[in-house]
Amino acid sequence: MNAPSIRDRLYEPPGPKTRRRIAVFTVIALLGLGFLLYLVVRQFERQGQLQPRYWDFFLKWSTWRYLGAGLLSTLKAALTAAVIAIGAGFLLMRGKLNKNPVVRWVSVALIEFTRGVPTLLLIYFFFLVVPRMGVSLGAFWRITLPCAISASGIIAEAFRAGVNAVPRGQTEAALSLGLSNLRTFYQVVFPQAIRFVIPSLISELVIVLKDTTFAYVVSYADLMQNAKVLITSHDSLVSVYLVVAVIYILINYGLNKLSDRMARGGARTAAER
Amino acid sequence: MTQRYPAGDVPVIELKNVNKHYGDLHVLKDISLSVRKGEVVVIIGPSGSGKSTLCRTINRLETIDSGQILIEGVPLPEEGRRLAELRSRIGMVFQSFNLFAHMSVLDNMILAPVSVLKKSRREAREEAMRLLERVGVADQAKKLPAQLSGGQQQRAAIARALAMRPRAMLFDEPTSALDPEMIGEVLNVITELAQEGMTMVIVTHEMNFARRVSDRVIFMDGGMIVEENTPEAFFSHPSSQRAVDFLQSIRTPEAL
Ligand SMILES: Nc1ncnc2c1ncn2[C@@H]1O[C@H](COP(=O)(O)OP(=O)(O)OP(=O)(O)O)[C@@H](O)[C@H]1O
Ligand SMILES: [Mg+2]
Repeated sequence: MNAPSIRDRLYEPPGPKTRRRIAVFTVIALLGLGFLLYLVVRQFERQGQLQPRYWDFFLKWSTWRYLGAGLLSTLKAALTAAVIAIGAGFLLMRGKLNKNPVVRWVSVALIEFTRGVPTLLLIYFFFLVVPRMGVSLGAFWRITLPCAISASGIIAEAFRAGVNAVPRGQTEAALSLGLSNLRTFYQVVFPQAIRFVIPSLISELVIVLKDTTFAYVVSYADLMQNAKVLITSHDSLVSVYLVVAVIYILINYGLNKLSDRMARGGARTAAER
Repeated sequence: MTQRYPAGDVPVIELKNVNKHYGDLHVLKDISLSVRKGEVVVIIGPSGSGKSTLCRTINRLETIDSGQILIEGVPLPEEGRRLAELRSRIGMVFQSFNLFAHMSVLDNMILAPVSVLKKSRREAREEAMRLLERVGVADQAKKLPAQLSGGQQQRAAIARALAMRPRAMLFDEPTSALDPEMIGEVLNVITELAQEGMTMVIVTHEMNFARRVSDRVIFMDGGMIVEENTPEAFFSHPSSQRAVDFLQSIRTPEAL
């Protein structure tokens, strides 16, 4: 809990003069922010966006149930995509570190491909091209698979960086005890690598979650899609988008907090080494 | 395979005309060396002379370009189960301890006996505790390596290697990463092993220790074995000029 943050490690503790300066700037910044917020609200007010009719349907239970169903679908798609991406990323990492040059080459090609192609393009591929190849996928898979694929290469690289961060001596000690290469990897190297990897895995999860907002392309009823329906039925673009944005922000904020916590735990164990 | 030879006749470790290059650098030049059962061989030499590399080739942590390495008469295989099996017969102790950072000291001790020697966990744990007792860190068994002092870590690392019941032990500067006050405790453990008849190859810069513990001193320079001698002869009247210069350069007033 009290582990030093990056800030504490980079800067010395502020003295009295610095503290005064920080206080002054804080006040100025808060005033500035308040003014900006005021401008935004006033603008909405002038455009009539704050009228009750744009907001009162949020008092209705059915509105929230509808958004909740969308959120659930979003989470389902994001979680499935994340699990697939982590599995594929792990395999690609093993492939890239393989002794066989063909396996290595194929893995590198796949990693670069998935990292380079925009998610939206993959979604169109699954939406428009794959059906023409005679494979019919439901809306759920049409959004989940492209999101998973587009994350897998980045996750593979995150795994690889984690594995490379484990000191070479750990591998050598394991091998010298007579452990096979496979055991050395799974019992000694990977359990240590995973600690370095968790923060970037979670950042990637946030990206997957955001990518699922492309679900409208394939008419998958995710949070974003349901929000659009609400917008049309209540003719209230601003209020719905604001609320949905806050929901996304809250989820991703939670994920990032989790990642910070885990990163600090990881940094602590790494420093103890 | 080894059973064909009567015990004692076959060197535990034997290198025949071993050569190794790192790119253009010829790190091991035609090294031949054999270590008999129960023998303690100390390797001494200036930095960069190839001592670590030599040590590591014996476990095939480094490959060689030509020549042959035999463990109890069996040529070191290039890969696979048989390589792992031969590696497990040679215990290795590193300068940086290399205890597995994510496991307790006890788990470090039982990992290889359980997964390589197929011992039961209970049996492995009992043996582990016995060995930890012997090197004096039994009370640290439940801790993570990072919670131990350097000297304790190195003693635990020695115990971990011993848990495989190795035929020989390799030490690559086992005390070089330690604070001065911890060097003694580790050297004592190694000295005891020597007295019990463990076959050992030790790379060290601790000259008093080397003199005390060794049956034979090997002096390396520039990737070659320059001199091979008894400790008495080597330290009192080395036969090569390079050894004379080296001993001169490291001899501090309080040593010897
Ligand atoms: N992986 C490597 N790649 C390239 N050169 C290397 C590598 N490892 C060692 N060397 C070089 O090989 C030579 C011998 O290294 P080695 O570590 O065996 O020396 P050493 O006798 O153990 O020295 P020290 O007393 O400093 O530990 C050195 O010149 C070193 O720079
Ligand atoms: Mg060395």
